[in-house]
Amino acid sequence: RHYGGYEYAQQGGFVPPDMVQQPYTGQIYQPTQSYSAASAQSFYGSSFEDEPPLLEELGINFDHIWQKTLTVLHPLKVADGSIMNETDLAGPMVFCLAFGATLLLAGKIQFGYVYGISAIGCLGMFCLLNLMSVTGVSFGCVASVLGYCLLPMILLSSFAIVFSLQGMMGIILTAGIIGWCSFSASKIFISALAMEGQQLLVAYPCALLYGVFALISIF
Amino acid sequence: LRGQRAGGAGPGAAAAGPGPGPAGADTVSAPAQGGGSAVIDMENMDDTSGSSFEDMGEMHQRMKEEEEEEAEGEAGAGEEEDGEFLGMKGLRGQLGRQVADQMWQVGKRQASRAFSLYANIDILRPYFDVEPVQVRARLLESMIPVKMINFPQKIAGELYGPLMLVFTLVAILLHGMKTSDTIIREGTLMGTAIGTCFGYWLGVSSFMYFLAYLCNAQITMVQMLSLLGYGLFGHCITLFVTYNIHFHSLFYIFWLVVGGLSTLRMVAVLVSRTVGHTQRLILCGTLAALHMLFLLYLHFAYHKVVEGILDTLEGPNMPPFQRVARDIPVVSNAILNTTAKAIALTL
Repeated sequence: RHYGGYEYAQQGGFVPPDMVQQPYTGQIYQPTQSYSAASAQSFYGSSFEDEPPLLEELGINFDHIWQKTLTVLHPLKVADGSIMNETDLAGPMVFCLAFGATLLLAGKIQFGYVYGISAIGCLGMFCLLNLMSVTGVSFGCVASVLGYCLLPMILLSSFAIVFSLQGMMGIILTAGIIGWCSFSASKIFISALAMEGQQLLVAYPCALLYGVFALISIF
Repeated sequence: LRGQRAGGAGPGAAAAGPGPGPAGADTVSAPAQGGGSAVIDMENMDDTSGSSFEDMGEMHQRMKEEEEEEAEGEAGAGEEEDGEFLGMKGLRGQLGRQVADQMWQVGKRQASRAFSLYANIDILRPYFDVEPVQVRARLLESMIPVKMINFPQKIAGELYGPLMLVFTLVAILLHGMKTSDTIIREGTLMGTAIGTCFGYWLGVSSFMYFLAYLCNAQITMVQMLSLLGYGLFGHCITLFVTYNIHFHSLFYIFWLVVGGLSTLRMVAVLVSRTVGHTQRLILCGTLAALHMLFLLYLHFAYHKVVEGILDTLEGPNMPPFQRVARDIPVVSNAILNTTAKAIALTL
């Protein structure tokens, strides 16, 4: 699948519609491309000044991460299906770490649980989406989307540092945030996989997964 | 390594795009000479393949020494020759490398073929092809017992709804465990919840399928899984309500009404598909017992009502888990008296 993305980038500019500045035409789109034999030869053979910047070589583009974050944070905004062409795991990693850090601030050292549940949850969603969609998905794509939609949960756990979530207001807030996360995730999934009419069916397993994260935050 | 590569393999590896590039490098890098073929060319074994120029000199030296030693004894020379068959130095030489590489390729090919054959989850694909309206209709239907038991009732062979209901039950169990501060000593809360729910769904389905096979009932494994999965909807509702509202009598009412309705539905469907009174009785009795008892178990095992039972059993005077100081003046006095008497007797 990422070979298709490579040719896509080669056509001279994939511009996300919500990007107002100049499209980025560097080698950023396929992080794995930097390590292939062809480009590696051209990079290692040249001098130090010709080497690309470190972030570009690693495939971390802060601008794209920001754009995807905005897409998640506006639940009513229509998602672009082409977001899924680039699977970048840098943003989700940052969000998982931030979630673990906010839990740490509340006195719960549960990084292991966060990583374990995200890994198992991504695997489960990967199997389910492969079974439910006509075109398949890649694991990196599922992990990327689920990681990005973890962002509202970070808001919940940072709220839990100061206030206790075990009252009625906590329950309402938790339910709202779980709904927000799963709605964003299902919106991106169905726009990328063309599964019209099945948004509720995709949203429910996402809600269960984010519900487990919320359980970690509350208790 | 790239400089030594033969001409035929060179353009194929160097100029390819990102896809074929690494793959090409894999297969070509193994033989240092010989043009990148995976077939071991036995003709090459005669020349210096694999060994360097210094090794050639060493080999000649050693062969001269062996000729001299032949006059003394043949046993020692024979052992040495085995390890140096045609200068290959045994498994560490060129032949060994090619054999190892070929074995790895064959093993990898067989493993990937076996994996794609057995781990092909596409066979489950038709069971996940549902619409939200269908799922909602089936959920509501699972609580309504059918009246017509003389005609085989239709069971939807679908796995999405049952799987989601099992996961929902896991989530509700986790929530109940967290609110009641249950401590699981061997294992994690999540593992216990998943193990319980999936174990019930898969285990009881398999057991009922086996019984249905014995009792000659017309039901397939997927249908049994689907039926039992949808029957968990009643369990989910009951546990969700009673984990949050802690009334004993409320739980019993829900257990009878909601649990009973879903059990009746499953039982009616099974009865409609079985012939013979004894068989019907066996199947339905087993299913009803297992289903109702599971709900009872879930409520009592993972809920703070356990402490409530202990309270009522101990009585109002003794609070649970509290050590009461034992007053044993009688016993200690008796001991003192007997020891005093014993000492007096000896003295």
